[in-house]
Amino acid sequence: GGYTQSPGGFGSPAGTQAEKKQRTRSQNIVPCTVSQLLAAEQVDESFRIRDVEISQVTIVGIVRHAEKAPTNILYKVDDMTAAPMDVRQWVDTDEAGGENVVVPPGTYVKVAGHLRSFQNKKSLVAFKIMPLENMNEFTTHILEIVNAHVVLRRNLMEASRGPQAFPSTGVGGYGGVCSLPLNGLTAHQSQVLNLIKNCPVPEGMSLQELKAQLHSMSMSTIKQAVEFLSSEGHIYSTVDDDHYKSTDAE
Amino acid sequence: MGDIHEGPRKRIATAHLAQHIGQPVCFVGRLEKIHPNGKLFVLSDGEGKHTTVELSEPLDEEISGVIEVVGRVTNQATIMCMSYVQFREDKSPFDLELYNEAIKIIHEFHEYFPFG
Repeated sequence: GGYTQSPGGFGSPAGTQAEKKQRTRSQNIVPCTVSQLLAAEQVDESFRIRDVEISQVTIVGIVRHAEKAPTNILYKVDDMTAAPMDVRQWVDTDEAGGENVVVPPGTYVKVAGHLRSFQNKKSLVAFKIMPLENMNEFTTHILEIVNAHVVLRRNLMEASRGPQAFPSTGVGGYGGVCSLPLNGLTAHQSQVLNLIKNCPVPEGMSLQELKAQLHSMSMSTIKQAVEFLSSEGHIYSTVDDDHYKSTDAE
Repeated sequence: MGDIHEGPRKRIATAHLAQHIGQPVCFVGRLEKIHPNGKLFVLSDGEGKHTTVELSEPLDEEISGVIEVVGRVTNQATIMCMSYVQFREDKSPFDLELYNEAIKIIHEFHEYFPFG
C-alpha cells in the first residue's frame, strides 16, 4: 500500500524513550465522532480529545462525495455530528483494478484510519473503508464511542490521581490545586458508587434501595451524589431515572 | 439558509421534537405511511411514536423500511426534510428499539458524543 507508519519524515534522529512510549500508548483504535476529531488538539505529532491521546480512529458515516484521482480516492464522510470529514484512501497503483473500488455516495461506511491535520484542516488517512452490510453496526458504533471515551477519560483521571489515592473509588488525597473534583470523589459519592457497583441485578440499584442501605444520608444527598456520578460517567440510568448501574460492572 | 449538511444535526427521537423546534436534526424511523400527494410521510421511532416528515418536492421514488431523515424541526413539531436515506435491511433487519436506546445514551452522555 501507499502508506506506512515509519517516522521517516520527521528528520530527527531515532526517537527518545519518551517518544517511543508515547507512540506505543496511542496504538489503540478509538471509535470517534467527526465532531470529536475536529475538536482534537494537536500536541506535537499526536492528537488529544479532552486530554485522551488518539491516533488510529474509526468513524461510521455516510459517503456524501467520492472523487477518484490517480493515486488516491478522496471521500467526504458524514456522521451528522459536524460537517462531512475528508477521508483519503491511497490507491495501490501497482495493483490492477480490484482492491480500491470507489464506494458510491449514499453508502454507510466504517472507516479505520489515522487522524491528520494539515494547514489547520483535519482529515483521515484511511487504511480500511468498509461499506456496512448490517446497519446495526452503525448503532453499535454509537454505543462504542460513548463507552470508549467514558472509559478512556476515567482511566486518565484515575492515573492522574497519583499513588496516594485508592484505585477503585478514588477516595484519597487531592493531588493538586484544581477546581474540578478530578482527584477523587467525596465520601458520600464513593459510598453511593460502591453500592451501585456491587449490585448484581440487571436493572441496577434504585434510589430507594440506596436510601435503605445508607441510613445516614438524606434522599437529597443521595440524589446529588447520583447526579454527579452520572455526569462523570461512573454510572448510568437503566429502566428509569430511579435505577442505576455502574459503567464498571462486568 | 445555509446547507444544514455542513453542520451538526442532532440525532433525536419523536419525544425530543418539541425541545428542538427550529433546529437541524437527524431522525431515523420506520415508514408507516405516505400521503397520496407524496409530500408528506410518517415514520415511527423505536418507541413506536410517530413523526411527520414534510418534503418541499413530492417523492420521486418508492421508499420503504427504515428511513434516516435530515431536516429542521418546524413549529408544528414536524420535520421539514432536506435529505433522506434508506437503511439497507437486505442482509439483516435494523433494530430500531436498540437505536432508540442509543439515542437516549448519547443525549445523557452528550459530553462523550458531541454534536458540533
